[in-house]
Amino acid sequence: MALFDQRPAYAHEPTVAPIEHRFSPYSDNGGTILAIAGADFAVIAGDTRQSEGYSIQTRYARKVWQLTDNATLATNGFAADGKNFVKRVKQRLEWYEHAHHKPMGLKAIARMIQTMLYGRRFFPYYVYNILGGIEEDGTGAVYSFDPVGSYEREACRAAGAAQSLVQPFLDNQIYFKNQTPAPGAEAFVPGRLPMATVLGLVVDSFTSATERHIEVGDGLEMYVVMKEGRQTTDLTDEGQLPAGMKVEELGSMGEGRGEKTFLVSMPLKRD
Amino acid sequence: MPVEGPSIGFDFSNYARNQFLGERMNGLPRATSTGTTIVGLKFGGGDTGEEEGICLGADTRATGGPIVADKNCEKIHYLAPHMRCCGAGTAADTEFVTNLISSNLELHAYSQGRPARVVTAMTMLKQYLFRYQGQVGAYLVLGGVDSTGAHLFTIHAHGSTDKLPYVTMGSGSMAAMAVFESSFKQHMTRKDAIDLVARAIRSGIFNDLGSGSNVDVSVITKNGTEMMRNYETPNERGIKSRNYKFRRGTTAWTKESIRSLIVSEEVKMTTGAGKTQDGVLDVPVPIGKGPGGEEGMDVDA
Amino acid sequence: MAVQFDGGVVIGADTRTTTGAYIANRVTDKLTHIHDRIYCCRSGSAADTQAVADIVHQHAQVYTAIYGHAPPVATVAALFEKMCYENKDQLSAGIIVGGWDPEVGGSVYNIPLGGGIFRQPWAIGGSGSTYVYGYCDATYQEGWNEEQTLQFVKNTLALAMSRDGSSGGCIRMCVITKDKVERHFIPGNELPRFWEGKEVTGVEAVGLNAADMVIA
Repeated sequence: MALFDQRPAYAHEPTVAPIEHRFSPYSDNGGTILAIAGADFAVIAGDTRQSEGYSIQTRYARKVWQLTDNATLATNGFAADGKNFVKRVKQRLEWYEHAHHKPMGLKAIARMIQTMLYGRRFFPYYVYNILGGIEEDGTGAVYSFDPVGSYEREACRAAGAAQSLVQPFLDNQIYFKNQTPAPGAEAFVPGRLPMATVLGLVVDSFTSATERHIEVGDGLEMYVVMKEGRQTTDLTDEGQLPAGMKVEELGSMGEGRGEKTFLVSMPLKRD
Repeated sequence: MPVEGPSIGFDFSNYARNQFLGERMNGLPRATSTGTTIVGLKFGGGDTGEEEGICLGADTRATGGPIVADKNCEKIHYLAPHMRCCGAGTAADTEFVTNLISSNLELHAYSQGRPARVVTAMTMLKQYLFRYQGQVGAYLVLGGVDSTGAHLFTIHAHGSTDKLPYVTMGSGSMAAMAVFESSFKQHMTRKDAIDLVARAIRSGIFNDLGSGSNVDVSVITKNGTEMMRNYETPNERGIKSRNYKFRRGTTAWTKESIRSLIVSEEVKMTTGAGKTQDGVLDVPVPIGKGPGGEEGMDVDA
Repeated sequence: MAVQFDGGVVIGADTRTTTGAYIANRVTDKLTHIHDRIYCCRSGSAADTQAVADIVHQHAQVYTAIYGHAPPVATVAALFEKMCYENKDQLSAGIIVGGWDPEVGGSVYNIPLGGGIFRQPWAIGGSGSTYVYGYCDATYQEGWNEEQTLQFVKNTLALAMSRDGSSGGCIRMCVITKDKVERHFIPGNELPRFWEGKEVTGVEAVGLNAADMVIA
């Protein structure tokens, strides 16, 4: 006995449209990523929840990947495509290092990602990418991509499930949109905020997105890439970060100039 | 000339309009649905000496698509002094249908001179929902105690009902049912029942994305109903790391105009409208346990 | 299903109600009371069949109030037929009416989907019934007593439940005669067992633990 009367849907439609049944290769695994550039550092962050529909597949799935000493990539969208895409990017970076005896620069990685994404123009990777790191001139940089390779360098970018919640917040706090400077004060310049401010904004972005978006939560991973020779005390000194956060310095990945990458992680709400 | 007659059957005059609106907007407006975990449990009874009762539970998250619309909504609705009803599905429908039936139950109690039974509420709800053929999207867990004992029902939007010792509904129903199927025992104590219900709701809150925030619990026995709003709050928001206070003058403006909103008005007293009148006696209405209850009214008087 | 025997009827059903793949109720009572000696077996949409049964139940009560005696089974069956036929576009209800009355004794009426009405010595319905028509045709005989009829119903249902995914759980049966309405409940771990394929799999099928299945 069936609980509901399951009559075919077309029985109610005045016109009978053909119903197409075929394999759907994509799914949306939720989550959100975000990156902010500083003057001599960049923060690339993502939550660790992976979901499908109303179910959590795992509370810890990595979305942010260290590529080189100076570049970290965040992926969001269809997790299987994301993992595969990162794997192929890493492979291309290794080939580059073998051929040229130096790691690929950030700008070059960005252009390579464009060509790799556009190479699948008619069967795209269903992934939104955000690349962050240190440019060859030593400045912090963020590049954001659409699934077929259109890209742009920016001071900050949010992508994924809670993009519509986080990006307006970032526009206001990073680009100072809708904020009139105080009379006599110097004009706001985006991309120059200190480390503590940037990390505070990232944490608040994710705790707030967790409150209001059902697909965001469980854990937060923030990768901080610093210019070579920059002092790290504003991150590593005791008392710099609130309790409950963990900092870990990631080892060098090759023969670079000596940029440093730190992983800052903290728990998020699990409901 | 065509034969004129009364129009018969469904009215499709708005079909083209709705189709057009649906194409122009991002689909037709979607109602807030309560992606929900709601549960109910019968406890006590048998030869345990524990008094028989119903324990209901609900989470407090309301969603509109993937967005949390309300972090602390109430899903255990009042029906009568000795009856409560948990709602899942379309928020507006659960709210309206429980309110309507609550009104009708009170009228029913007045006309019959005794508190309405739980089966009466169940029948009224299922007949209303059946009439709307599932269009009224209310999925309910109904529990209560009456002269015939403690009763627990589920009512689906299409109008079918089930009578069971433990039930779950909503998007988190499977997470909650997993807890019940592994731990339910007949004739539990009141405390064990509340614990199990809270655990089932927590299972929904943490494992189902449609459910979240807090645990509401309600216990109904023949000695009264206890509503434990926010019985558990396992998802309190922490302190924000930054302060988002804006400097006065942050928002730009194009013009300034200041107007006085204070208006003086002279009011003259006439008869009626709350003024005491000769020959009219104000009698305070006794407030008891509800219609037909202990302090209920005398129908035949 | 329902089966007529000399002196009454035996009706029976599984206890499973599903929403898609989810079992919404594993101890459903599909043997629904209509009058003192008249019951029906419901299949199809739960909401539709409950609504129809409730209305017919009300009609049966009004009939008793007017005429001072219980309605004959044929009358109740005709009431079901009328509702199912006149609202055939809106309903998906397959109903079997079984009962006892002083005029004809035990009788079984089948009212399938379109709203037809057929008096039969035995009737089966619902999603699992197609699997056991052959068994019923081959097994049923006239002149059975109550106990033989009960065994036939139990075996038929167990066979249907083992083949049909939408059927299962436990078995509920009801014997209706002049003198009694007697209910029987067979828990899921005490169902009759037939061929389970151990020759093919090499493994003896294991019955479920009683504690997992029974909730009285």
